[in-house]
Amino acid sequence: MAQQLLEVKDLYVNYRVYEGLLKVLSGVSLSVGMKEKVGIIGESGCGKTTTMKAIMRILAANAIVAGGSISYKGNDLLQLRMQELTRLRRTNMSMIFQDPTAALNPVFKVGEQLEDIVHYSEFTGNPTRREVKTKAVELLKNAALPEPERILDSYPFQLSGGMRQRVCIAMSLASARELLIADEPGTSLDVTIEDQIMRLLKQIVEERGLSVILISHSIGAVKGFVTKLYVMYAGTMVEEAPTEELFSNPLHPYTQSLLMAVPKLTGGGVPEGIAGRIPSYLTITSACRYASRCPFAKEHCNTNAPPAFDLGNGHKVACFLYGAR
Amino acid sequence: MMSAEEILTVKGLKKYFKTTRGVVKAVDDVSFSVMKNETFGLVGESGSGKSTVGHVIMGIYGPTAGTITFMGKDISKGVGRRPKDLKKQIQIVFQDPASSLNPRRTIRQILELPLRVHHLAPDGDYDKRVLEMMDLIELPREFAERYPGEQGGGEKQAVAIGRALATGPSFVVLDEPTSALDVSIQAKIINMLMRFQKEFDLSYLFITHNLSLMRNVAQRVAIMYLGKIAELADTSEFFTNPLHPYTKMLLSAVPVITPEEEALKPEKVTSTGEITGALNVPPGCSFHPRCPFVMDMCSKMVPSLIEYKESHYVACHLYPSALNAK
Repeated sequence: MAQQLLEVKDLYVNYRVYEGLLKVLSGVSLSVGMKEKVGIIGESGCGKTTTMKAIMRILAANAIVAGGSISYKGNDLLQLRMQELTRLRRTNMSMIFQDPTAALNPVFKVGEQLEDIVHYSEFTGNPTRREVKTKAVELLKNAALPEPERILDSYPFQLSGGMRQRVCIAMSLASARELLIADEPGTSLDVTIEDQIMRLLKQIVEERGLSVILISHSIGAVKGFVTKLYVMYAGTMVEEAPTEELFSNPLHPYTQSLLMAVPKLTGGGVPEGIAGRIPSYLTITSACRYASRCPFAKEHCNTNAPPAFDLGNGHKVACFLYGAR
Repeated sequence: MMSAEEILTVKGLKKYFKTTRGVVKAVDDVSFSVMKNETFGLVGESGSGKSTVGHVIMGIYGPTAGTITFMGKDISKGVGRRPKDLKKQIQIVFQDPASSLNPRRTIRQILELPLRVHHLAPDGDYDKRVLEMMDLIELPREFAERYPGEQGGGEKQAVAIGRALATGPSFVVLDEPTSALDVSIQAKIINMLMRFQKEFDLSYLFITHNLSLMRNVAQRVAIMYLGKIAELADTSEFFTNPLHPYTKMLLSAVPVITPEEEALKPEKVTSTGEITGALNVPPGCSFHPRCPFVMDMCSKMVPSLIEYKESHYVACHLYPSALNAK
């Protein structure tokens, strides 16, 4: 276990809103090893992005980290001074966002935005403009973009969605030497383009030996990419397992229903979905957050939150079906 | 087998948009029929023109050329003056319920409007009809006074479906009805739609980019690329025996989760390139710049949609018109 790059332990994050306190993350734990590829799946509003933002320390101003620790190579990111955090963000970790249109500034050319990042990430002294530009061109080439010179001279809206996401990948490559967080990198793109982007990412990640956290609600897109998967539901980690194990032997009732609900290319009709919906974070109690929708819920599920039971071989499930209460 | 009675036939449909930068051929010579009680699927990537086909059928705008025959009558002319009876028969459900429902109206008001417009409560008891609609879409009656913004995505889409069905249509255009929803909610909405189809004898034009979903809902599928139909076949034939290189490329790019699905994919046709803008459609076959099997003639001649096998149509020069020749 000495090889962990990132270790999130028992993280609690709340949001202060007009109506009260949204208790979003409740005891989220995850770990990423050196060069490990980790995936997080879950439906909208389950706290995937909040977890990632907490790691990058870019949570919204109304967010409160109410407990837990995020250790990056032994340093607690939550306690880190701004100066040290900045250095880490410049050279060690980076994030790719879901919507490249929103991630790029519409009033600056791609070149200006990319070169800024390159300037501070790749050089320590005062590089010349030419040096910076050469590096930027190289990054765009790595992201499989044709005519990098022309792209540097374009505004984001002059590029297609797939090209914009490649630009974002190029940007994140400048500063990600160790950890890359990809938050739904293909979701806003067409299937064939998503396929290309995912293949490119995988190739880059493997070439550079990066650790990755890939977030997606598209279960299929994650499957071919990562070696370890986490399933999130309503701000909690409900299951953790090696990828193959999770697909062949899903244990948590939520994971099972989720995998069932995905329409299959082989046909056979669309199965029943999951009744009900994610509970409101405003009124949430300490019970298992899936209890209200769970067909196996017992009385104590409504009063106690299940801990993560370790079933061996890296398979952990937070459900009373698999351990004593 | 289904009865071969056509409810809607589209012939040589074209829809061009004039823009300052030129003419966009969003739909360029598309023909197909939808049978009674059938779900006819239209797949394609963004910019393929699939939604425009749905919009033209709805009468949101008129076609540039071509005819739309609905229940034996040509409805392609005078879209702005469609008789109410016709509007009642053809309804639409849009992709994003957050933007297709008026946020300032309660669910009651949303469901009541089509009923009032078409005078669908002869006894004047609109309240009762609205509550019946809410039962139908499985929303608790007490939600009637709530606003769409207070509801989850699945519930909002159920309201949009309820609004479309309120007039008792026979044909519904479903334009990506579940693309904005999570999979567990998608499954519920799809099941609801399939149940209503049986219950109310509906015919669907189902538009989506999600091939896995299409496999499970449609009886026949057509795939569009830059305003043209590339391939059209019965669903099982389409997925087990795809012909067009574009269909193969799309299928091999679909992310799947089971080994059975992986086995179904055609030998990997690696996806390359991007769909070009509809402003500058490549000459000849519009797919040729991305096609791994491109030949000389592909950039010169537009392939026409031919019946290569029985009820399996394809528009590609790789498939010379075997059946067509006779």
